[in-house]
Amino acid sequence: MSDEATLWLAFILIGLATTLPRASFIVLGSRVSLPPVVQRALRYAPAAALAAIVAPDVLVVTGDFVPLNPKLAGIIAAVAAAVLWRNPWLPFIAGMAVLLGLRAV
Amino acid sequence: MAASPFRAGAREGFLGFLPLSVGLIPWAMVTGMAMISTGLTPLQAMGMNVIVFAGTAQLGTLPLIAIGAPLWLMVATALALNLRFVIFSAAIAEGFRGADSPTRWFCGHLLTDGVFAHCVEKMLKVDDARWRLGYFLAPSLWSWLLWQASTMVGVFAAGSIPKHWSLEFMASIALLVLLVPMARQRPMLVAAMVGGATSVILRGMPLRLGLIVGIVAGIGAGFAAEHWHGRKEVP
Repeated sequence: MSDEATLWLAFILIGLATTLPRASFIVLGSRVSLPPVVQRALRYAPAAALAAIVAPDVLVVTGDFVPLNPKLAGIIAAVAAAVLWRNPWLPFIAGMAVLLGLRAV
Repeated sequence: MAASPFRAGAREGFLGFLPLSVGLIPWAMVTGMAMISTGLTPLQAMGMNVIVFAGTAQLGTLPLIAIGAPLWLMVATALALNLRFVIFSAAIAEGFRGADSPTRWFCGHLLTDGVFAHCVEKMLKVDDARWRLGYFLAPSLWSWLLWQASTMVGVFAAGSIPKHWSLEFMASIALLVLLVPMARQRPMLVAAMVGGATSVILRGMPLRLGLIVGIVAGIGAGFAAEHWHGRKEVP
């Protein structure tokens, strides 16, 4: 563990490395505008990012690609609940129930 | 009683985001526990939590803090993990037309994955700037409060919650629930599938760069699918 002052300096630098990317284009606003073609392409960023964040969590088990595992079953149950019913809490209940149920078997 | 546009936006933004925000709770608690198990004091842990306010960047840099790695490596790692926010920031920037500079900095600081995914569509569509600001700020401030409170629970409960409950799985569920309505458009579905597959294939890349490559590949695939499809389904 680094000493106290270095630690807080690290927090501030990591904080800057977070806030600057987040605020970048929101602050620059209309002074810097991306070409329309880039803006259209960026519409796919959220879908791509969400999938890229979640996929390794449900398809990789301790470093290996495992196509069939309790987490994937849980996610499928959660997605099915989200598609079939409007109740916003149901995907969480279904997903956790399937995950913990399969692990208990 | 006529509600102001700001309040109306805040109300709609908050109510829509509320169920999704439960996914933050386990994620924050896990982050709190991880900071304590790295060796931070509760004060240091909450200090980091307030200053950084980013689960992925915090969890990603903790191993480096633990070994006393050089500062530049911590910053580089945090930047790599946060690169996606440049994309999010550019995608949602139009929604802040009419807002002044301090407001933009404040909103930028509060921009998280969940808030972005929840807000981006209406931020670009709705005309009233006050409504948009309320619609963004209500879920953002709620996220901030819930994140700080839940992390504090994790900090003080470190060690007493059974790991086999896998509560952090709720974060994955929350992110995927956000994806479901997007994936009804064909190019979006293609973007998601390519992004997810690439990220899995490249999971071994250092600094989680596979995530960045996955996002870029997904955007490219979605864009290609849009052209392929003659842009019929794109509003």
